[in-house]
Amino acid sequence: MSTDGDGSIKVVPVRHVGRWVGVAAALVVVAMIVHTLLSRLPTGQKTCRGVGASRVCHAVTEWRFSWDIVFRYFTTSEILHGLLVTLELTAIAMAVGIVLGMILAVMRLSPNRVLSGSAWTYTWFFRGTPVLVQLLVWFNIAILYPRISLGIPFTAVAFLTVHTNTVFTPLEAACVALGLNEAAYMSEIARAGLLSVDEGQVEAATSIGMVRRQTLRYVVMPQAMRVIIPPTGNEVISMLKTSSLASVIGVIELLGAATNIYSANYEIMPLLLTASLWYLVVTTVLSIGQFYLERHFGRGALRTPPPTPLQRMRRDLAGIVAKFPNRRGLAGAVER
Amino acid sequence: MSVSAPPLMVEAIGVRKHFAGVEVLKGVDLKVGRGEVACLIGPSGSGKSTFLRCINHLEKHDAGELLVDGQLVGYELRNAKLYERSDRQICAERARIGMVFQRFNLFQHLTVLENITLGQEKVLKVKDDAARARARELLDRVGLAGRDGYYPAQLSGGQQQRVAIARALAMDPKLMLFDEPTSALDPELVGEVLDVMRDLARSGMTMIVVTHEMGFAREAANTVYFLDAGVIEEWGDPREVLTHPTSPRLQNFLSKVL
Repeated sequence: MSTDGDGSIKVVPVRHVGRWVGVAAALVVVAMIVHTLLSRLPTGQKTCRGVGASRVCHAVTEWRFSWDIVFRYFTTSEILHGLLVTLELTAIAMAVGIVLGMILAVMRLSPNRVLSGSAWTYTWFFRGTPVLVQLLVWFNIAILYPRISLGIPFTAVAFLTVHTNTVFTPLEAACVALGLNEAAYMSEIARAGLLSVDEGQVEAATSIGMVRRQTLRYVVMPQAMRVIIPPTGNEVISMLKTSSLASVIGVIELLGAATNIYSANYEIMPLLLTASLWYLVVTTVLSIGQFYLERHFGRGALRTPPPTPLQRMRRDLAGIVAKFPNRRGLAGAVER
Repeated sequence: MSVSAPPLMVEAIGVRKHFAGVEVLKGVDLKVGRGEVACLIGPSGSGKSTFLRCINHLEKHDAGELLVDGQLVGYELRNAKLYERSDRQICAERARIGMVFQRFNLFQHLTVLENITLGQEKVLKVKDDAARARARELLDRVGLAGRDGYYPAQLSGGQQQRVAIARALAMDPKLMLFDEPTSALDPELVGEVLDVMRDLARSGMTMIVVTHEMGFAREAANTVYFLDAGVIEEWGDPREVLTHPTSPRLQNFLSKVL
C-alpha cells in the first residue's frame, strides 16, 4: 500500500474518458460558432496605399453577420419604440391571462357543474385553436360586430353604443387575443398549483373559522404560487416572443419595427439579429426576476433556501481563496 | 325544562354518517360536559375521526342530533324545520372549536408566529400587536418561546404539534378536538405533546381526544368511549372501562393495544 509523506493513503479519482471526449467535441463546436460569428468576408473591393513598387493592396472585408449594422440599429428610436410596444403587449396580455386564468382555475375546481363546465369549455376552445387565427379574428371582429353596445341582454335597450373600429385598435385587438389565449394556458397552470396544496392545509384553515375565500387567499394561493411561478415565468418569456405575431395585424412592435426598416433598406439579416438580440436581453432580465420570485414564494418549503447567484459567487470565490495555502500571498496579489 | 343547568358542551344523539353507501357512524350517542375530557378509542376505521369531524362540521352528518354548547351543529331549528346555516355562520361557530390534526397541518408558508396570528387577525379581527402578544404568550405556554421566526419545516414533529395546539388555542376555543395528535410522532416526542394536553385538561378546557395513548386516557380522561364499527360499544370511567372491560370486543382491542 502506497502512502503519502504524512502517512495517509492517497485517493486516485476515477478517470472519465467518455466525459473528456464529450468535452473536446463541445469545445470544437463552440470554437466553430465563435469563429463563424466573428468571421469577415471579402467584399470584392480593394483598398490600396502607396504608389509604384511600394503600392500595397488589401481586400476589403466586412463582418459576415454585419455586426456594425446590427448595433447601429440597436438603439434607434424606431427599434426602441417597437421594443416598448412589445413590452407593453406582453405585460397587458400576461396580466389579462393571469387574472382570468386564476378565475378560470377556481371556477374549474368549483363543486358547481355549470361553473366548472364553463371553465373547461373556455380552455377547450382557446387552447384548441391557433393563436394566430385568434389574433386575426379579433383584428377583424368589426365584420361580425360593427357596433358594441352596453345594455340589457336580449332586449333592444342600450345605454351606450360605439363603433367597434373606433375603440378597437390593432394593439388592443392583439392585447385581447393574446390575453384570452394565455388565460386558457394559465388556468391549467393555476389549477395544477391549487391542486398541489395539501388538503390538510384547507382543513386547518377551515377549522380556525376561515371562509372559503379567506382560505384561498391566505393559505392556498401563497402555497400554490411555489408551483405556479416557474411555468408562469416560462409563459411570460413565451409571450414576449409570441407577441411578435401581432406584427401580422399591423402592430409595430419589435419585429414589426425591424421588418419596417429592412423593407426599406434590404438589410434583412442584420435587423432580424437586432430584434433577436433585444429579445435575448429581455428574456435574460425576466429569467433573473423569475429566480428571485421563486425564492420569495419558496419560503418555508425548504429548510434552507438555495443561494442567490451573488451568494454562490461569493462562496465560490471564498473556496478558491481557501485552496491557496498562503492566503496572504493571494490577498496581497489582489490588492496590488 | 329547568334553566338552572347549563347545557352540555357536546351532546350527540343517534348521529349517523355514510360515505358512498358505507355507513361509518351507525347512531353514536355521547355526552361531554363543560371542562370534561373525553377520550375516543377504538380500532382504525371504527369512525372515531369521522365523528370528531362531524362535531365541527368538517363533515356533515346525515341523521341524528348533534349539539355543541346547546346549539345544533350546522342547522337551525325554526318553526319545526331544520334550516341549513350559511357558510359564514358555520365558520363563525367553527372558529370557537379548536382542532388539532394527526399530521399537524401547520401553514407551511408562514412562520410559527404567523401561523398563530393568522386566525386571530383574519377571523377574530384582532389587532396585529395584540395578536402577536397573544401568540407569544401561547408559544411560551406550549414550551416554544423564542421560536417565533421558524418555519414549520424547521421544527420537529413534536414541536410542530405544539405550535398547532397554540394555533387552535389562539382562537379562544370553548372546546378542543384532537384527532390522533400523537400518532404521527416519533415515540420520544409523544411525551412533550401529551404534557401540553395534560396541562390544558387541568386548566379546565373541554376536550375530546381520539387517541391510541391508553396511558393518557387513563389519567386525563373523565370518560372513555370505545367506538367500534360505527357504534359506541362501551363507555364510562377510564379506570373501570380500561381495566375491567365487559364487552368482548373491547377486551380483544385492549389486549392488542396494551
